[in-house]
Amino acid sequence: MSSAIAVPMARFLAANINVGVHVERKLFGLTFDLDTLWATLAAIVIVIGLGLYLRSKATAGVPGKLQLVWEMGVSAVRKQVDGAIGPRGAAIVPLAVTLFVFILVANWFEALGIGSDIEWLPAPTGDINLTLALAFIVIIPVHIASIRSRGPVGYVKHYVAQPFPKFLFPLNAFINGVEEIAKPITLALRLFGNLLSGGLMLALIAALAAWNISHIPIGDVATVILNPVWKLFDLAIGAIQAFIFALLTILYFDTAMSDAH
Amino acid sequence: MPLASSNFLVPNGTLIVEVVAFLIVLFVIGRYVLPVLNKTLEERQEQIRTALEAADAARIEADETRSQRQGILDEARQQAREIVGQANKVAEGVAAQAEERGQQEYERLVRAAETDIALARQRAVDEVSGQLGALVMSVARQVIGREIDAASHQALIDEAVAALKASSDTTAARSQG
Repeated sequence: MSSAIAVPMARFLAANINVGVHVERKLFGLTFDLDTLWATLAAIVIVIGLGLYLRSKATAGVPGKLQLVWEMGVSAVRKQVDGAIGPRGAAIVPLAVTLFVFILVANWFEALGIGSDIEWLPAPTGDINLTLALAFIVIIPVHIASIRSRGPVGYVKHYVAQPFPKFLFPLNAFINGVEEIAKPITLALRLFGNLLSGGLMLALIAALAAWNISHIPIGDVATVILNPVWKLFDLAIGAIQAFIFALLTILYFDTAMSDAH
Repeated sequence: MPLASSNFLVPNGTLIVEVVAFLIVLFVIGRYVLPVLNKTLEERQEQIRTALEAADAARIEADETRSQRQGILDEARQQAREIVGQANKVAEGVAAQAEERGQQEYERLVRAAETDIALARQRAVDEVSGQLGALVMSVARQVIGREIDAASHQALIDEAVAALKASSDTTAARSQG
């Protein structure tokens, strides 16, 4: 897979599109997806690098373009948090901002893909391990915030006393339990699914290249046209998914910290 | 090497590394980047607020200056009007005075002229009347052929001179009237 040219690879791939394939290594009895880890590292370097660069360039005077974008993002998140939770939510701002930026950078790696099973720099958010990790990082503080806000008793009561009358508490506990378990899983799967399917679309578009009518390589033309079109669309999807993840984080904290349900 | 044997929907050890990795990013961004960014944001807001306040103050000052200037202008205009009015009044007074003085001078001149005329006429009449007695007597001598004694006929002469004087006075009065 040393060639970065989409067409010959697509001919190879056309026979067999594999889903969710990773470069795996076993260590201490655990399996690690090396390609995801490598891409995560790249995303970390970019995000932290941008952040530190920004920190060194940050000025209270006329901001540069990068600073302006960051400030707009941070301001938007702060406004959102302030509107939903109020001043108590200030601690969530760094989490939401970091989530958004990190997921955005990770998602946009997909535009570098060529539609093969293993990309040089895959979107790490296309691996369930990263999205689930992020979901845990969000949902555990959400529950801690809920316990802090309601007290341990109020926290438990919150799950059994509503939405139905108290004597139906097993039903309440079941419904609320499913909802709470579903939160991190849906949060993780939504992002993962979008990125995985984005990669699959690239693979399918690449596979089109094998489509010839007699000797006319019509599939090659289709691949060349559709690949950038899809990637542009995918960039938008990546931004929207990053935004949704950050927004849902804020909303989960809002639900956890509001007393009235 | 791609291994399709494991289920891609089931997390593996990568999850743990990813948790740690993201926490590192969160730490760096939350600790070192966002505070700086927030500080610059607040500083800029402060700067903007100060600048707006300064602009407000400047506008108020400008308004005050403008109203002051307007007041001074109004006052100056009022004063100018007064000065012009006074000047007009003075000029009218001067003209009236000049006219009056001219009239007085004219009248004085006319009066002086009249007096001179009257005096001259009087002198002429006196002169003529002084010589008239001798003239009458010489005429009468030639007419009656003898010496008329001026002393003995003084009364007659005086009567004639008085009659002549009276007639010349009447003429002068008529010409003056």
